[in-house]
Amino acid sequence: MAIDEKFNSIRKGLLEFLILRIIAADKVYVADMLERLSRTEFATQEGTLYPLLSKMRREDLLDYEWRESDAGPPRKYYKLTAKGRTQLAELNRYWKQINTTVDDLGQPT
Amino acid sequence: MNKVVTINLNGNACQLEEQGYDALRAYLDTAAARLESNPDKAEIMSDLEQAIAEKCRRHVGPHKNVVTAAEIQRIITEMGPVNGDEGDERTGPATERRSEGPSQRAGATRRLYQIREGAMISGVCNGLAAYFNIDVTLVRVAFVFLAIVTSGGWVLAYILMMFIVPEAYSSEERAAAHGQPFNAQQLVDRAKHHYAEFRESSNQWQEKWRRSREARRERRAARAMAVQPQPPQSQGTASYATRVFAGFMVPVFTLLSAILFVALIIALISLFKTGAVFHWSLPHDVPIWLAIIIFILVYQAISTPLRAASRASYEASAGSRYGWLAAADGLMWLAFAALLFWLAYLLIPEVRWLIHSTFEWKHLVWGWPS
Repeated sequence: MAIDEKFNSIRKGLLEFLILRIIAADKVYVADMLERLSRTEFATQEGTLYPLLSKMRREDLLDYEWRESDAGPPRKYYKLTAKGRTQLAELNRYWKQINTTVDDLGQPT
Repeated sequence: MNKVVTINLNGNACQLEEQGYDALRAYLDTAAARLESNPDKAEIMSDLEQAIAEKCRRHVGPHKNVVTAAEIQRIITEMGPVNGDEGDERTGPATERRSEGPSQRAGATRRLYQIREGAMISGVCNGLAAYFNIDVTLVRVAFVFLAIVTSGGWVLAYILMMFIVPEAYSSEERAAAHGQPFNAQQLVDRAKHHYAEFRESSNQWQEKWRRSREARRERRAARAMAVQPQPPQSQGTASYATRVFAGFMVPVFTLLSAILFVALIIALISLFKTGAVFHWSLPHDVPIWLAIIIFILVYQAISTPLRAASRASYEASAGSRYGWLAAADGLMWLAFAALLFWLAYLLIPEVRWLIHSTFEWKHLVWGWPS
């Protein structure tokens, strides 16, 4: 089993968190998100991203606005809602906690 | 030259080759089916169409305004399968969906593909190995073994698979070849497509085959009727002579076919070991696998008429006892082959050297006790 397969479910589970982080940093549209993720271990595709974004929007974590683009029709630019920002802060905290736990468990007691 | 279809992708006109259209249609239908119970289905579908339209636009320019089937395939691969469960198992709708599409969620269903990477010929063995999750070398050995046992017939099976089994040319398909989930719809679509394509030709073949079988059965029945009521002595002298001649020819044909077989095996071993067949070495630009296939095909080409002649001889000499004679002939063939191997081993020093070195080599590889 390849190393990345061992973390398959973790990577999948982290995707939502990472999208919140990306959107929090800057207003982006889907191609930007895919581009940023494509260079990482979390590379994903439209087929996964669009349904996930729509779910997150339904949960009121993010919203989008239409913006004109110079190359073709207007695009959806995503941004976080207030609830999304709160959730991101919680997730960030939780993620740090997990990292600390992982580090601690590797130390001799 | 391909037919072109113009489609409307979320308000964007797009011209595709017909095959590409079929693939895209299948992709979008699958996506729609998976999003069936998603409240944002319409929106996600138009997002997907928009993304596809943008990708299509990248493939057209001032001098090219049609997106080819291969490009569509690449776009579909880039898009990736649409996740009905939104990539997250915890959400509510996912549990509803589970009951609706158990086959889609059944886990690691695989598809059989040809995998070009690391392929010897076309990647059929490679794909089978991925499908069954076994070592590709084992599959290849099994194929060569089957090819020899069926005296080359299996090569035809391989060639058939080369045409029928789709090739995994995207990372998505390669993943599917190794056993990640796929959706049944795509398989059905592909099967339908292939079915339509091959129905024409296979119908013709089936018809031909059925007719020749019926004709053979009728002939045999007619012969049985003719032979049984009369004792054999009452047959005419000409037919008696034919039968004697045929009876004499049966072992001759069998011997010839055994000689051919032994020659093939020795030639193959020698080819593997030395890259040459009895002082005749391969031209540099011919790879060894090609030489092996050519050998098997040549063998097949010679041995098929031989076998047909030998079968005709049994039928002439044995009539209704054909079946028994065929079985006896099989044994005779084996005996001939064994005898010939033994003779070749005794009389031809090169063969002896080959067999000895082959076994030494095996000893090295397998650690066989000496």
